[in-house]
Amino acid sequence: MSLFRIFINQDDDDDDMATSKKVITREEWEKKLNAVKLRKQDMNTLVMNFLVTEGYVDAAAKFQTESATKPEIDLATITDRMAVKKAVQNGHVEDAIEKVNDLNPEILDTNPELFFHLQQQRLIELIRQGKTEEALEFAQEELAPRGEENQAFLQELEKTVALLVFEDASNSPVKDLLDISHRLKTASEVNAAILTSQSHEKDPKLPSLLKMLIWAQNQLDEKAVYPHINDLSTGQLQDPPE
Amino acid sequence: MYSEQLNLAMPTTTTSSSSFSSAASSSGNRQADVFSRLASPDPEVKLKALREVKNQIIGNRTKKLSFLKLGAVPAIASALSDSECNSILVQSAAALGSFACGFEAGVQAVLDAGVFPRLLRLLTSSDEKVVDAGARSLRMIFQSNQAPKYDFLQEKNMEFLFSLLNSENENVSGLGASIIAHACGTTVEQQVLCEAGVLEKLVILLDGSLSQREACLESLATVLKNNPEAVSRFVGLEAGRYLSSVTELTKDRYPRTRLLSCLCLVVIYNTSPSYFLNMGTKSSLVTTLLELLNDPGQSGDEAALGLSSLIAEKEDLQKLAYEANAIKNIVDILKTGSELHPKRLQGLFLSLAELCSKLEDCRCSFLSLEMLDLLVNALRHNNADVRTAACICFRNAARSVKVAVLGALSNIVLDFSSPKSTFIEYGGIKQLIELSKSMDPNTRCSALRALRNLMFLADKKRKELFYSEVKAQGFVSLISGKQSPLNHNHMIHLILQLTTKTKTYSSSDPEPTVQEQGLALLRNLVDGCINSIEFVFDEEGLILDTVGRQLRKSPQAQMAIQGMYVLTNVASGTELHKEAVMQQLFPQPQAESNNFMLKFLQSHESQLRSATVWTIINLISPSSPGALDRHVKLREEGIIPQLKNMVNDACLDVKIRIRTVLSQSMSFVPDTLIIPQVKAVRKSLYHYLYHS
Repeated sequence: MSLFRIFINQDDDDDDMATSKKVITREEWEKKLNAVKLRKQDMNTLVMNFLVTEGYVDAAAKFQTESATKPEIDLATITDRMAVKKAVQNGHVEDAIEKVNDLNPEILDTNPELFFHLQQQRLIELIRQGKTEEALEFAQEELAPRGEENQAFLQELEKTVALLVFEDASNSPVKDLLDISHRLKTASEVNAAILTSQSHEKDPKLPSLLKMLIWAQNQLDEKAVYPHINDLSTGQLQDPPE
Repeated sequence: MYSEQLNLAMPTTTTSSSSFSSAASSSGNRQADVFSRLASPDPEVKLKALREVKNQIIGNRTKKLSFLKLGAVPAIASALSDSECNSILVQSAAALGSFACGFEAGVQAVLDAGVFPRLLRLLTSSDEKVVDAGARSLRMIFQSNQAPKYDFLQEKNMEFLFSLLNSENENVSGLGASIIAHACGTTVEQQVLCEAGVLEKLVILLDGSLSQREACLESLATVLKNNPEAVSRFVGLEAGRYLSSVTELTKDRYPRTRLLSCLCLVVIYNTSPSYFLNMGTKSSLVTTLLELLNDPGQSGDEAALGLSSLIAEKEDLQKLAYEANAIKNIVDILKTGSELHPKRLQGLFLSLAELCSKLEDCRCSFLSLEMLDLLVNALRHNNADVRTAACICFRNAARSVKVAVLGALSNIVLDFSSPKSTFIEYGGIKQLIELSKSMDPNTRCSALRALRNLMFLADKKRKELFYSEVKAQGFVSLISGKQSPLNHNHMIHLILQLTTKTKTYSSSDPEPTVQEQGLALLRNLVDGCINSIEFVFDEEGLILDTVGRQLRKSPQAQMAIQGMYVLTNVASGTELHKEAVMQQLFPQPQAESNNFMLKFLQSHESQLRSATVWTIINLISPSSPGALDRHVKLREEGIIPQLKNMVNDACLDVKIRIRTVLSQSMSFVPDTLIIPQVKAVRKSLYHYLYHS
């Protein structure tokens, strides 16, 4: 069922809505969409790219079998990378560092910011576990020199050490550091660094395409009335509001 | 930090300090423990220890240093040499590579341990991981200045190099490129490499992985640098395809790739600019480098130097940079206040210096941005290159002052005599004086030139500032050249300007020395007013004596010119001043007739003749009481007669001055002693004065 929506041309004297927008019905819209030809391979490549970049090894392997799409990098290297990411996500930072160094010792040697963030995460985990003395020792021995080497790290270091000051750190101004999302942030950073060292793009293409879709719709909104995709997860076309 | 809930027993400072010191010693103990396990005969234990050390030092400069001091490097080196077990080889090579990564002391230790040949042998291992570990460590070593020299001229070495470049292994081919990038130094080496086909091998890497691309770009820049043949060979490959590739890479998503490709293009442009006829390419190269300046890491440091190299001596590119807002961008970076790497500071100041070298607009822009504080600080920097760069920048920008003073342009915003700038100047002058005593000749010369420019038409206050800092003795050292035995030939090419008369220096001219600079500075100092002149009389006329002595020593023409101008300026003062000059010209007793004035008057250098005549003019200016006596003396010494012979001097300036002297002379010659020559001169003089 199609809805017609007509905007009447206003007089020139009128301040708003001096131009009319083109109206595109659902039927017309769907017709136009169907006329666009996509190759299945392109879609498969996008999916594979997403699985590989995000590190879903088993899914990628299965997908390779079923669709005969070649993964752009060796799945074995994905396994190594995922082990690192997982270790950080689970709070086993020392283990993650060892794994990164086994994969490529240059990554942490040439990425001072990443190295600092990993050390910082280690400190956070020690504090979370209540190992206060060990945490202090660690901060003094491992993190303080980083702060001396680079002023920018000093601020973050102070913030982290502040966790020790509060009786109930999880309700303090610096509680974000204890949040699991901070682990994920660090994990993502490591993942990106490994991907870069393997000359792979660190972001999958799919999110960029979706962003482009939203942007294109916003642009078109200024010129036309047409069915939108409002829910990216379903991709359903929805008629414009009354 | 004290809380009962956390069960910390730290109520007193003694306890907390002991807990911290125990932390430090326990870490020391741990390190010593790991270290001892490195020497274990049990391979399992050894392997574990190696891994531990490796994981501790990666990314951690402090740990690298402390393990280094323990002697870890030789221990690991023996583990590498004595073992055939792949895991041990991998871990020890990785550890050594980490020691060498960006850490000069580590590189030194690894080389001293004599393990370099062993690392090379790892490249032939059947185990891919061993090869990787070996290649990586070697690459780290070759990125350092201390890397062993690679003799490209030996056939064996070339074969080995090419075997590396041909390898499928990314780390190995990257190593090959790295060796070229850091070890290739001479034109001969560049030729040999090109003839062996290295360019064809390297460009393949352009299509490879990120690290291969970057290694390729670095090595290309080294092979092509200042070698037009190599550049033309490169551009000729597949009809310029690879030049286009490199140009494309300046827009790559990775900043380091953008930087390295820009630096490669800068090398090509500086070597053979004809490949860059397209203005668009030049323009985008400039803007890309400007953008890269904002990168906080190493890329930004290198971009600054790259930019200064690109725009050096090229007015059209300087204009492009200026139009792209370079000055403001660079000044903004300098003003951020954070500690900038010395290389970046050097590059930024050199870029500013280049921008200000020819374009007045640039200087105005620069001066209007109130950069003097920053410049003064840079003049104090502990890195010599930074100081020199700041000096050159200061000097180039200060040229503008002359223009303002001469009234040629009216759009100069900053006035050097305003109160604020006096304060800044105080710091500036002090620093410049310090730098004029530097051991480095380039710095010395730049500082002196800057001072000379500052003193030109300076006000009394500024001059007093200067006197109080330098003191007579300091000047004497400068003028008599006692400060340093070095001959300063090379430093003068830091552009000569700002002389009161224009003079172009060709390569066949004798090169001036610090002494000349000192005299020129002195000349500017004493110029203008009576009080200025008193300076040369400090400490019983020490400076004036020294000037006189230098002049009597048959100096080079340039020095003599400046010296005579000093005397001219002093002779423009009081009666006492004039007498003092006479003393210098004709000291008693004179051992032989060492009359340098006569020599100067006969010099080929018109400026020297002119300066000498000026001195005479001032000495016998009729308004002063002792003029007659001085005139008599000058006549006795043969000076006045000599002048009569020069009535038709080739140089107009000299000719006019001589006629001035002779007209002054008229007032001393009694009418009864009119000689036909005098009559003739008088006649031509009147004709000149009233009819020309």
